[in-house]
Amino acid sequence: MKKNFTKLCLLSAIALSAASCSKDNKTDDAVPVYTVPTTYNFTNANFADATTRLGMLVEIQNVEKVATTGQVNSASAKNMFTNTGAPFVTAAYNTSGIQVKDQGVALYQTDVPRFIDSLTAVSQTGKVASRGVAGVGTSSANAATKYALTANGMNYAQVFNKASMGGLITYQIVNTMAAVNAGTIDNTTVTNGSTALEHAWDIAFGYWGVPIDFPTNKTGAKFWGSYSTQVDSGYHANTILMNAFLKGRAAISAKDKNTIQSQATIILQTMEKLTGAAALQEVKEVKESINDNIARNSRLSECYGFVYSLKYNPKKTITDAQIDTILALFPKNFYDLTLDQLNAIRDAVSKQYGFDAVKDIL
Amino acid sequence: MKRKYLYTALIAVSTFILVQSCSKSGGSDKPTDPVVNGFDRKTMLTNISTNIIIPSYTAYQGAVVNLDAAVTAFNTAPDATKLTALQAAFKTAYQLWQSASEFDFGPAEQANLRVNTNTYPTDVNQITSNISSGTYNPALLANLSAKGLPAMDYLLFGTGTDNNAILLQYTTDAQAAKRKTYLATLSTELKTNITTVLTAWNGGYKTTFINADGTDTGSSVGLLINQLVYDYEILKNYEVGIPAGVQSMGTTFPTKVQAYYSKISAQLASLHLQAVQNLYLGKSAQGDGSGLDDYLVQAKAKYTDGSSLNDVIKAQFATATTKVQALTDPLSVQITTNTSVVTAAYTELQKLTVLLKTDLPSSLGVLITFGDNDGD
Repeated sequence: MKKNFTKLCLLSAIALSAASCSKDNKTDDAVPVYTVPTTYNFTNANFADATTRLGMLVEIQNVEKVATTGQVNSASAKNMFTNTGAPFVTAAYNTSGIQVKDQGVALYQTDVPRFIDSLTAVSQTGKVASRGVAGVGTSSANAATKYALTANGMNYAQVFNKASMGGLITYQIVNTMAAVNAGTIDNTTVTNGSTALEHAWDIAFGYWGVPIDFPTNKTGAKFWGSYSTQVDSGYHANTILMNAFLKGRAAISAKDKNTIQSQATIILQTMEKLTGAAALQEVKEVKESINDNIARNSRLSECYGFVYSLKYNPKKTITDAQIDTILALFPKNFYDLTLDQLNAIRDAVSKQYGFDAVKDIL
Repeated sequence: MKRKYLYTALIAVSTFILVQSCSKSGGSDKPTDPVVNGFDRKTMLTNISTNIIIPSYTAYQGAVVNLDAAVTAFNTAPDATKLTALQAAFKTAYQLWQSASEFDFGPAEQANLRVNTNTYPTDVNQITSNISSGTYNPALLANLSAKGLPAMDYLLFGTGTDNNAILLQYTTDAQAAKRKTYLATLSTELKTNITTVLTAWNGGYKTTFINADGTDTGSSVGLLINQLVYDYEILKNYEVGIPAGVQSMGTTFPTKVQAYYSKISAQLASLHLQAVQNLYLGKSAQGDGSGLDDYLVQAKAKYTDGSSLNDVIKAQFATATTKVQALTDPLSVQITTNTSVVTAAYTELQKLTVLLKTDLPSSLGVLITFGDNDGD
């Protein structure tokens, strides 16, 4: 009996220690007892669909990369977006029965073909990029680095990347977390080994794009998994997200509703803040290639893409008008960028997300 | 009864753990006090600002004032004598810039001083276009490669094969008037920029700098080390490595050296390395004051083999200096005819990079916050 009691105390201590720093920690009469693991190795976890869609995005990126060496096959890229006509190199994607497009927010669904068309048009000019001339430009710092830029200096391959991080990935994660908070996902009936809530949570984790033992292991981290690491020196999103995903998933299986909701809220809020941090990270990168017209424009396109992608977030705290105000700080033609404009963009994003203390190091 | 006992125990255990798990931020072992291990960072910051930074800026500013005056004199009545005098004034300014480029934080960062002053290789097409159009917006980042010392390097040394030919560009050439205007615009801009920065340092910034005596990211030690390393990497990569082909599998780019047209590249690289070393040592005309070397010694910083990190860094400075002094002008020619001497210098500079960029900051608890600019 005493042994059992010790065991129980230890177990609950582990559960409590994990939850002890969250503000809304209440000593509920029915505190469930469970262990929060240190990696996402839950036995019934399955996020294959999210991984597949990230893989599909990578294949679209590969088609777009052709823009610096030849003409982009826009039909192929668009078919990949809708998974039409077995367009993927990875055969399993073709027969997966799932696609990127229908999982994205409505605006993203119409934006993507537009972005692909813009990039394709640049790739067809056969010209060298310069102010007012769409074409392929070479970084002055590294002759091996080339970018396809519009006459205004926009790199639509990067706009597509960042849009996908917002319009597909963040949209999916945020939607799931909002539904978790609303209590609309079933956590009782077990189908294929897990409840609907467990599965939805797993898919959200899968969209983050990190290995299960992140951030100890960063191998293969992509999209937000890559950016949460890039901004980690100023905003510790890696730990915030990983802890929340682990704690929330353990809480779901243990039916610990309060913890589920608190972790969902953390993830929901972090995804928007992380987007702001990523935009600031790009401002820093613009500064690091400040005298390299071509690379600078491409990095400014990344920054623009991140700010624009905030529009896709269904639970954003920033308003559409505020996003448009920040976008209006970008010069019409990126070749005309001044340092004052760049700093104004930085300051607006930093103020919005409370990053003033770290705005230059993200 | 039993149940109540269990809950009490649970609460006790969880409270203990709560206290444990939330106390991390309080017990930081980072050296955030101004005096750690008997080392007074304020003294070091005072020495570096009073005896190194402000005198370096003052000397460079004086040289740029002279340069701007020499441009005015030349433009008024261009002749061979005034061209020679102008070229000499230019070289002096470029030499003094080597000791003024390291401090691109605070006022210099505000003025974007480093890239506004010294972005190279310069873009001759952009310069030509700016001259012929007669429009030039100094705020455009696209004009960074068409301004500053490198653009003047081209205008004063590269517009003709010899001084007679160069002089014609400012006298009989169809664009002579516009070229003179552009030249004057650039020297005035150089003067305005450094004057703004120096004024800020002589005003309140020196006190701000000395008082920010922690080691966190925004602290002066943090800024200083970050910029020392950043500037040092410019020396290693842009003055030596990239022109010698180390980033392009041996394909050399001789024209990418600093001061390509005036052919003082090797000389400037030596001066630059000396300046970085002086900053590290806290050394100035006033003697060998408190510097990062003293800080490392007080922190008892060790190299991986257990020896003193400061000794290792000083030895590598000496080795790198010997190799950089073996470079000869015109460096662009040496890169073509005797590449191995140049790559040998790069190799020793690279070894010093690891010490300055990894061992030094980690020993002092300073974070390097700029990324490697290798594109993606």
